Amino acid sequence: MQIAPILIVCAVVFALPLVLNNDFLLNKVARYLVLGILTISLALSWGFGGILNLGQAMSFGIGSYAMAMALKLKTIPVHTGSGGLPDFMVWNNVARLPWFWEPFKSISFAIAAGIIVPALVAAGLGWFIFRSRVTGVYVSIITLATMVVLNLVIIDQQSYTGGFNGITDLAQLELFGIAFDAYGRATFYLVATCVMLSLLVAFAFTCSRAGLIVQAIRDHEGRVRYFGYDVATYQIFVFALSAAIAGLAGMLYTIVMEFASPTFLGVQLSLSVVVWCAVGGRQSLVGSFLGAVLVAGMQGALSESAAFLETWTLVMGVLFVLVVLFLPKGLAGLAQVAWHWIVHRRQVTQGIAHGVGRTREGSA
Amino acid sequence: MGISRRTLIKNAAALGAFTGAGFPHIWIKNADLARAAGGEIKVGVLFSLTGTTAIIEESLNKATILAIEEINAAGGIKGSKIVPIVEDPASDPATFSEKARKLVVGDKCVSVFGSYTSASRKAVLPVFERQNNLYWYPTLYEGRECSKNVIYTGAVPNQQQDEFVPWLVKKFGKKFYLIGSNYIYPKEENNYCKKLLEKHGGEVVAEEYVPLGHSEFSSVINKIRSTQPNVIFSTVVGDSVVALHRQYRAAGLDPEKMPMASLTTSENEVAAMGGDAAAGHFTSAPYFQVHKSPENEKFVAAYQKRWGADKVTHFVSEACYFQTYLFKQAVEKLATSDITPPNIRDAVKGAETIAPQGKVRIESENLHTWLWPKIAQCKSNGQFEILVETKEWLKPVPYAAYPGQVCTEKGLAEKS
Repeated sequence: MQIAPILIVCAVVFALPLVLNNDFLLNKVARYLVLGILTISLALSWGFGGILNLGQAMSFGIGSYAMAMALKLKTIPVHTGSGGLPDFMVWNNVARLPWFWEPFKSISFAIAAGIIVPALVAAGLGWFIFRSRVTGVYVSIITLATMVVLNLVIIDQQSYTGGFNGITDLAQLELFGIAFDAYGRATFYLVATCVMLSLLVAFAFTCSRAGLIVQAIRDHEGRVRYFGYDVATYQIFVFALSAAIAGLAGMLYTIVMEFASPTFLGVQLSLSVVVWCAVGGRQSLVGSFLGAVLVAGMQGALSESAAFLETWTLVMGVLFVLVVLFLPKGLAGLAQVAWHWIVHRRQVTQGIAHGVGRTREGSA
Repeated sequence: MGISRRTLIKNAAALGAFTGAGFPHIWIKNADLARAAGGEIKVGVLFSLTGTTAIIEESLNKATILAIEEINAAGGIKGSKIVPIVEDPASDPATFSEKARKLVVGDKCVSVFGSYTSASRKAVLPVFERQNNLYWYPTLYEGRECSKNVIYTGAVPNQQQDEFVPWLVKKFGKKFYLIGSNYIYPKEENNYCKKLLEKHGGEVVAEEYVPLGHSEFSSVINKIRSTQPNVIFSTVVGDSVVALHRQYRAAGLDPEKMPMASLTTSENEVAAMGGDAAAGHFTSAPYFQVHKSPENEKFVAAYQKRWGADKVTHFVSEACYFQTYLFKQAVEKLATSDITPPNIRDAVKGAETIAPQGKVRIESENLHTWLWPKIAQCKSNGQFEILVETKEWLKPVPYAAYPGQVCTEKGLAEKS
């Protein structure tokens, strides 16, 4: 476990605007970075906590809607003028702003809500799941089902949520006098800062005592319980932390995409995150982050190249199958193997004794 | 564990390789941009080729490509070829938004033709408004939108219902059962329908919304049996249309006495459900494949020659086709150096062309289209028989259901 790869990745991310001197590319890469943050959050609960959350996009969606609601209230509606109701409420014959929209007039509240609400929801859900010692595939089913329920509620309650169309026509976020234009550098650096924060917070957690216990629970839950640890509390904590990071990613996604949609908490996105995480290496924070950025980037590049327009989904499918068959630890595992091979060869040729601590090197 | 300098270098090298492999287009695309211009007019074609709405959107992609190929084959626009850049937004609003950015900001297209669902149009709208580009939207929709960056060539509620609802009341009776999918389009159409019913002495016996993709209509059919409406007014969309028609038929209801009157059932949906299930029901739209006009015969023949003799044309693919010709007309009016989205918009205001459905015009005050409403009945061969054609084309009124509001060149305004 090393911090070096994290620092290098952060440095590269911060340096990207020097290479990408094009608003459109900056915006596009920012989008992939946000998906990367979402994938880090899943790596935390799945790779380190052993909790495969198939509804990871639920926290992402809650964050996204929190930000969208605040930005929607900042928009001057065409129908009712400044301070009026959002347009979709007018269309649905809503007379006054619903109570749960009121606090979103404050951006600070929205930002806090975008992180805390997903964490609380996850903690609540986790309380039921882990207190009753539900494990394995049932956890995945419960999380997936909860997300689908929330998704359906959002689509159904269109007077309050914008329904199927989502919340569109948003104002720009302004914080401390800086306007975060979706195509601007300010937004890119905001996303880059959040990438760094998420990686560091997640890394700090995995190195902490609680983080080690969580990993022990992943490997042998029963044994940890016999040692007298309160297994459920640790699981609830990692589950909630993961949700908070996903909520942060969701808020950034709204800023970068300029809308929120029920598809942000859809099954498709949730499963994509699992795939990205698996391809990058679920037991590596940097690996999962790069997995998301690379796969989403490749998806974009393939579907945009004329040669693969008809077949890009097929190409992606074949790639996933190959990774799952031959790289069970993902790209991070591959990097680890390559690193060991290099180190080992040099040590053999130079006749230096093999360091015991080296076995865990190269993974972060 | 310390960080050795060697580790750092190795990791940095590996990262560099990863980044390079992941974003080959970063460098290649910039090279493309430099080669732009010079006898080429780039347009985006943004219809889903994969995902849930791919079946219908593929036909829209095909109609657009057909028109572009025809225009290029006839010499292009004043010697310049139209270069379509086709993207696959995969039926996903976020991908729609990403691809729209790519087309507008990355490829610098002067217009984009695209979208079937309102959700995808709403998702790309901020891109076009911020970049002041032009989006050509061919689908019938709920109205209530007023953007100077969208050309709407599909019907709005007044163009589908003004003729249809009074005709239904007169022919079948007053009692209407409103059934729709649960989203904004059916609700708006029904808002307008209720206004018309009030005016023409009709009444609503039930108003019901089913989730998108709903396929179990037995409870709906039971309610239809118990309320005995004269007309079932349907704004159900997608696969649900197929399920509703099949189950209606399986339940033994009779289209002669209690027909479904739909705003969304086109040749495309009928092909999916089979002519037997659709026979006897009614649809109101500006275009049907059987419409008799030289332009339409040419369109249908060209479409089937290009894409296959078994393919059908329908009211959305027809709009795709004629809107591409309207684009051509608008660009023709401009000097080569003036081809920008705002200039194209100004040139298309008031533009007219002979479409397969008849002569259409872009209304300059709201950028919607003057169309020719028609009422048709489906036959068991999967085609429609046109029963009523309006004598006059009909002005688009996107805010028809809301007498206080009117769409103007500057945006939405209150009517004084």
